[in-house]
Amino acid sequence: MSAKTVKVTINGRAIAVPPGTLLTDAARAAEVHIPVFCSHPRLPPLGACRICVVEVGMPRRDRDGSPVLGADGSPEIAWMPKPQTACTTTVADGMVVATESPGAVRARKGVMEFLLVNHPLDCPVCDEGGECQLQDLAFAFGHDFSRMDEAKRTFVSEDLGPVVKKEANRCIVCMRCVRYCDEIMGEDALTAHQRGVRTEISSFDRQPLECEQCGNCIEVCPVGALTALPYRFKARPWDLRQHVTICPWCSNGCSVRLGVRGTEILRARGTEHRGVNQEYLCARGRFGYSFVSAAERLTGPLLRLGGALAPAGFDEAVAFTASRLREIAARHGPGSIAFLGGEKLTVEEQYLFQKLARTLGTSHVDARTRLTAPLPGDAILKATGGGRPALSLEELGSAGEVLVLGDDLQGEGPFAQAVLIRGQHQNGLHLTVAHPRRVKLARPKFRGEWLALRPGGEVALLNALARAALDLGEPQGMPPGVAAGLPALRQALAAWTPEKVERVTGIEPAAVAAAARRLRETPRKAIVFGRALVEHPQAAALLQAVENLAWLTGALTAERSFVMYVGPHSGTQGALDMGLVPDRLPGYLDPADAAARAPFEKQWGVALPSAPGMTAPEILKAAAGGRVRALWIAGDNWLRSAPDRALAEQALAGAELVIVSELFLTETARAAHVVFPAVSFAEKEGVVVNCERRLQRTARALSPLRGARTDRETFQAVARALGAGWSYRGAEDVYREIARLVPGYRGTGWGTMLPLGPRWASDGAAAVAGSLAPVADAQAGPGVLAGDGLWLLSGGVLFQQGSLSHRVELLQKLAKGARAFFGAGELQRLGLAEGDAVVLEGPAGSLTLPAAVDDSVPPGAVFVPYAYPEVQVNRLGAPAGAGLRVKARRAEVTARVGA
Amino acid sequence: MSRGPLLFKDIDTPGLAGLEVYRGLGGYEALAEVLAKKSPDDCIEVVKASGLRGRGGAGFPTGLKWSFVPKDTPKPKYLVCNADESEPGTFKDRELIEKNPHLLIEGMILAARAIGANVGYVYLRGEFAWIQRILDRAIAEATAAGLLGPSVAGTDFRLDLYTHLGAGAYICGEETALLSSLEGYRGQPRLKPPFPAVEGLYRCPTIVNNVETLMNVPGILANGAAWYRQWGTEKSPGTKIFSVSGPVKRPGNYELPLGVPLSTLLNEHCGGMRDGFRVKAVIPGGSSVPPLPASLLDTALDFESLNAAGTYLGSGGVIVLDDRTCIVDALWNITRFYRHESCGKCTPCREGTYWMAEVLERLERGEGRDSDIALLDEVADNILGKSFCPLGDAAAMPVMGAIRHFREEFEYHVTHRRCRVNRRREELDALRSAPAAAEVTA
Repeated sequence: MSAKTVKVTINGRAIAVPPGTLLTDAARAAEVHIPVFCSHPRLPPLGACRICVVEVGMPRRDRDGSPVLGADGSPEIAWMPKPQTACTTTVADGMVVATESPGAVRARKGVMEFLLVNHPLDCPVCDEGGECQLQDLAFAFGHDFSRMDEAKRTFVSEDLGPVVKKEANRCIVCMRCVRYCDEIMGEDALTAHQRGVRTEISSFDRQPLECEQCGNCIEVCPVGALTALPYRFKARPWDLRQHVTICPWCSNGCSVRLGVRGTEILRARGTEHRGVNQEYLCARGRFGYSFVSAAERLTGPLLRLGGALAPAGFDEAVAFTASRLREIAARHGPGSIAFLGGEKLTVEEQYLFQKLARTLGTSHVDARTRLTAPLPGDAILKATGGGRPALSLEELGSAGEVLVLGDDLQGEGPFAQAVLIRGQHQNGLHLTVAHPRRVKLARPKFRGEWLALRPGGEVALLNALARAALDLGEPQGMPPGVAAGLPALRQALAAWTPEKVERVTGIEPAAVAAAARRLRETPRKAIVFGRALVEHPQAAALLQAVENLAWLTGALTAERSFVMYVGPHSGTQGALDMGLVPDRLPGYLDPADAAARAPFEKQWGVALPSAPGMTAPEILKAAAGGRVRALWIAGDNWLRSAPDRALAEQALAGAELVIVSELFLTETARAAHVVFPAVSFAEKEGVVVNCERRLQRTARALSPLRGARTDRETFQAVARALGAGWSYRGAEDVYREIARLVPGYRGTGWGTMLPLGPRWASDGAAAVAGSLAPVADAQAGPGVLAGDGLWLLSGGVLFQQGSLSHRVELLQKLAKGARAFFGAGELQRLGLAEGDAVVLEGPAGSLTLPAAVDDSVPPGAVFVPYAYPEVQVNRLGAPAGAGLRVKARRAEVTARVGA
Repeated sequence: MSRGPLLFKDIDTPGLAGLEVYRGLGGYEALAEVLAKKSPDDCIEVVKASGLRGRGGAGFPTGLKWSFVPKDTPKPKYLVCNADESEPGTFKDRELIEKNPHLLIEGMILAARAIGANVGYVYLRGEFAWIQRILDRAIAEATAAGLLGPSVAGTDFRLDLYTHLGAGAYICGEETALLSSLEGYRGQPRLKPPFPAVEGLYRCPTIVNNVETLMNVPGILANGAAWYRQWGTEKSPGTKIFSVSGPVKRPGNYELPLGVPLSTLLNEHCGGMRDGFRVKAVIPGGSSVPPLPASLLDTALDFESLNAAGTYLGSGGVIVLDDRTCIVDALWNITRFYRHESCGKCTPCREGTYWMAEVLERLERGEGRDSDIALLDEVADNILGKSFCPLGDAAAMPVMGAIRHFREEFEYHVTHRRCRVNRRREELDALRSAPAAAEVTA
């Protein structure tokens, strides 16, 4: 921060603030309240509502510039003839501001009176009543009676889609909704119709909104003009218990304020002044909570004793589980037991899950069930800078150049997308999006560069970018260990000629060179990647290629990392940190290193295996082959998440013991021998780590559903039944142990995480030094292009992502049923029309879906969002090599399927 | 017969809209010389020295405005001619462009050169479609003659002119709203600063000048500042076109040196009032300014004198109200205009104009209350100076001015529940109450 400040006196209170500060912010610093409506911290000043009018003066100055002194020796003030809006006025040195002078009070009262001229004052039937800024400010600054007794102008109320209810009569035309929708959501869904007193906010065509349905327009509406239909007339704000916790829907880790009455979450709102997101929430984060109180929740353990699953007592289930595990370990060795899943758990639960596994003597523990190929447990850490201070979401938004690799952030990290859109709109951020589909961020309106990557060309593109970056000169800021790899890399990259890259990726060499140049030469840069690379069959190569590119462009330096991994779940980062990987202990410690093992062995009282275990795809194969006899799957619908459904079914059928901890009786749970009923994010406390490695506390908003147990309790009970002396009284006890043992987490505690937790970074030297290494592309031959069939593109979409979204009725309604999306040309080529049933045939099975046109899908590909209940993408077969290809044909039955 | 010393000197010459006639009268004659001999900065200095002030209503010194354009910016600069003439009672720009489009083009060439703009836009009000055709034809003629385009009058200065038709909003006469509209956005004013001269059209330096202002530029640059100052007063030099409407014998546009008394304009030039009418009040500068009562008819028509009399020169739209016009009715009419034209951006203007119109309607209906006059005055005062742009002030000032000068008429409405003077309304009422008679006469 610049040391330069200017002195402002507000209501007689002198404060020093940085130049350029708006008066509203300066007043906040001086603890003077200036009311605002149209002003919003995330939007540029507008100055429309005029409620923030204040009187402003400057010291009168002589011709020589010295202040004129009054009779009493104090500087004489030249007051501006008109009151000024504090939300648009920036401070100047010596400025004097009066918010309570007769002129300011009269102006403010006048504006307040005007705001109520056409306001219906229907507070008793308005959802906003009780937390309405207009109500509050009218109470604080307004008259106690109305002089306006003429007829008010009226509008008809409108439902703008399933989420937004509009009562235009209440609108004060602050334009926050329109501006937020445009500048931060990048949706442009709202506009103002007509003018003057007839100004009315609506969609452009007055049809239901076709947008992200984020409801942020509702959030920023200072009055009750926009209210949430799902919450309409459900409660008054003072009836709700409000709990601030962390949204479970993706890895961005937004703070969310849950409004709870009884045992039901009635609504969710942003938190305004805290959290990484402040007021922002996406559709999932705002409207996706009905699953918590769904009737289908599991309310007690289930045991398969005879043929069918039957309800059982908790102690009985624990005893059964422990005895079977002990038996199997004794008979087949602990290596026959594997632990899968855990990406949706809290850090404490994740820690206990792997502790349980490793205490049992097995290292077959992996949360990354969607992996299609083995991946080292520290590969993601290495690609994101090996524990160097990581890129924050705030830094991401103020970057100059951002490369988004292979992921549609709209589905995988909606807040990260909003951060980038706001950056583009307000800070001149430039986007480069490498994705086969023209995803939202790649649309022309965001003025970025879309690298229309041909599926299978991922490695080639990254190598080409690295080569182009290297062509610009020797990279700076690499630690010596990393720089040592440069000659070999340079040599390997030489093979990636522009012609070859264009042939494989379909991207013009000039575009690649320009993207590399921007990334290298822009001072503030960032690289964002997600599951598309991690779940790729060539993940290990791709992550090394990302690291290479980052070092060569300066997105990684010896001190900092500007690379971010936006994982699929709220606990994705935590699972990696907590050692839910077979080859790393918590804190990415190498189990082969006796010194690293020692503290854990001492604390846990067991000898830990030093050899790495099997990764999730290896476990899948081993289980299907009968080499893994027992599986514990926590918070993961493995039949859906495993890359090959046939193998997973075989594994579950063949296993002697399958334990599933779940909220619902999922397909996987149905195949289990023991089902433990877990609790949702809202019913437990703990810590989650978001994509910027921020440790955040979650709060318990609801008491656990009767009969359900937190995973911590379940894990502890089983561990105790197995003879381990676990005695955690609560999740915080577990966290204390983590904070003692896990590098990066040391010194943190629950108490240090409010309101905004710290971001962890390795103590001292980076946990992993990093490297430059050549990356070969096993697939980059003519074969990539030859093959026939369509590339299968899959991924999360905004309304359906993960394994719970289909249990939220509203999200399912918004998602409009599963479809297979083709480009218009492709559909025509297949002789299909929109709505026709299409069969997708993969190597292992087929899938029938209604076809739909989506022009963001490139020719030669089909896009199938995976998270719909009726879509079992993994039935088609596991992606291998460069991905998965399917054949599409018209379904035999010509009847249209779906809606 | 010449109708004025400068802009109106040859205005009625047949065929003046064509290049040939315009040239025949000396048009574009000095252009090449000015372009060759005077640097842009010299031009700005001359205009500054001439004391030319904006003729659109605000009266900002034109040369000073031009000098605000940053010199060392890499951004393109734009010149925009404000021809959105929509101030009620003002109809000068349309006659000027309709009859003499080349003078505007010549003015724009010189102004664009002075500020370093290579693109100019003429923003015409939506109803001026036929004027757009005239202007487009003139621009085509000038381009063909090498007066516009890549090499203006043989120099290396490039200027392209485009016309743009508005969509019918009064607010787009406000320069920042005009720029929003020109960019394709909702016509609403923007925050100032940054002023358009620094960040205007497409966030580039932009000068917005009125038609009449730009048309004064060629004369000033050809003949010098002192020549221009032979007309008008010290602080308000030059001439001004007054658009006179109301029951005078010869309503119309008149070009007079600034500083001529209002009575001279009305009595000598307009031939006085029509028989049987007497002046009750005159709104001297378009409907946005407070009216002058008949007692102040000797006020000189220049910026300073009118300010001293509590009103403004504005756009020069002189609206004469006769003694049969009800002030409340007239005000209701004006306020309805502002209610309709308020863009809705800021609260005081949006809600205040609505409220004032409602109260005035009640007064006019004969249902007014004692408190209404004070209420009206206070509502207007709450708008004045609190609105985002001058539209709010424009709506408030006539109301406050009318109450100041004609309070007894308002009181008459309240106490007698009818209008004292408005014959028209009573005649209409009479007609309505005797439908049979009306039918017979029909």
